[in-house]
Amino acid sequence: MKPSKDEDALVDLLDVVLRDGAILRADVIVTVADVPLVGIKLSAAIAGMETMTEYGLFSEWDARRRAAAVDRRQYDDGEHGPLDVGDESENGE
Amino acid sequence: MTGDGPLDPGVAAGDVDAADAEDGEGPPEIDEGRYLYCVVSVDEGSPVEAFEATGVSDEPVSVVTNGGIAAVVHSCEEVYDSADLGRVRRWLVRHQSVVDDAGEAFGTPIPFQFDTILRGDDEAVEEWLAAEGDRLRELLASLAGHWEYRVEVVERDPPSADRLEETDEELADLRERIDGSGEGTGFLVEKQYEKRVETLREHRRAELTADLADRLAEHTREVHELDRSPAADLAGGSGREREGETICRLTLLVAEEREEAVGAALDPVADREGIEVRFTGPWPPYTFVPELGGGEE
Repeated sequence: MKPSKDEDALVDLLDVVLRDGAILRADVIVTVADVPLVGIKLSAAIAGMETMTEYGLFSEWDARRRAAAVDRRQYDDGEHGPLDVGDESENGE
Repeated sequence: MTGDGPLDPGVAAGDVDAADAEDGEGPPEIDEGRYLYCVVSVDEGSPVEAFEATGVSDEPVSVVTNGGIAAVVHSCEEVYDSADLGRVRRWLVRHQSVVDDAGEAFGTPIPFQFDTILRGDDEAVEEWLAAEGDRLRELLASLAGHWEYRVEVVERDPPSADRLEETDEELADLRERIDGSGEGTGFLVEKQYEKRVETLREHRRAELTADLADRLAEHTREVHELDRSPAADLAGGSGREREGETICRLTLLVAEEREEAVGAALDPVADREGIEVRFTGPWPPYTFVPELGGGEE
C-alpha cells in the first residue's frame, strides 16, 4: 500500500505538531512551555477538527501544495517525494 | 468562531479570550523575535532566496543561513496563543505546511515544536546557528533522507465477548457461573467476566502489534508505539467517528527508499478480514528529534 497525505492524515498530525518536534532549550528562546491557552485548549482544538473544511482551509492547503509543486520544478532535479495530494482537484472556487 | 472567510489573519496573543486562561498568566513578552519552523541543510544549489512560504499568521517566511545550515523563520513580536480553537488549528496547519515545503525544498528538516520563538533578529538566529551548528549538522546528517510515517491499525468488528468465550476456558467458566448464580454473587462474577474480556482483548492487541512491529523492523530505522487513542478522542466528539477498535498506532522513521518496502510489509496486514490499516506520510520527523540546547548554561 502507499502512504497517504490527505486531510484526514493531516488532522492526525496536528497534535504531533503541537506536542512533538524538536524542543529548544536555550537562553535565546522565549519560553513556550507556559503558553497557557494553547496548552489548555489543545485536546478540544484537535477534537473539533471536522469543522476545518468549513473554513476552506484544506482547499487552501491543497492549492498551496500544488503551487509548491510547480515552483519546485524550477529548481528540483525532478525527484519528488510521493505526495498524494492529487494533481487534479475539483476546485469549486 | 470567526466567519469572515478562510484564513483571516490570526491575531496573536493578547486576545480578548486571554483572560480566560486558567492561571491568568499572560504570555511571555518579546520585542523582536523569530518564529522557528525548522532547521535544514543548505549548499550552493539550495533555493535559499527562492524559498517562499506563508507563515503561521500570514507572515512571510524567510531563510537565515550560517555554516551550511539554515533556519526557516518569520519575524514575530508575540507568541501565538489563543482560546479560539479554529485559530489554533489554522496556525498548526500553517506551521506544518511551512515545514513540509521546507522539507521539499531542502531535504529532511529538523522540525521544531509549534510556537518555538528565538529572541532577537536575524543576526541572533545566525548566532544561534553558529553556536549550535555542530549539533544541528550532526542531527541533520543523521536524519537525511529519512521521513516519519504513521500507521494505525483498526479492527472493524472486534470479537464479541461471546466469541471470546469459545476460545477461552476461564471466560466460559465465568459465564457458566453467572448463569447459575443468584443476583448477589452474580454481580461480582460479572465484574470478573468484564475484566477477563478486557484482558483478553489487551492480549490480542499486544499480539497483533508485536506481529506488525516484527514485519516492519527490517524496513525501518525506528518504530515507536503511540497511545491507542489520539488526543482527539480524549475530548470526546472526535471529528471522524470510526467504527471498530484501534489495535495500535505506530510511528516509523524510514529511509525514503524503503517507503515501498514498508507499504509492502503492511499489505498482508491490511488484507486480513476486518482489518483496516491507515498508512500516512511522509512527514517531517517530528517524533524523532531530540531536545536541543541546554548546553550553553
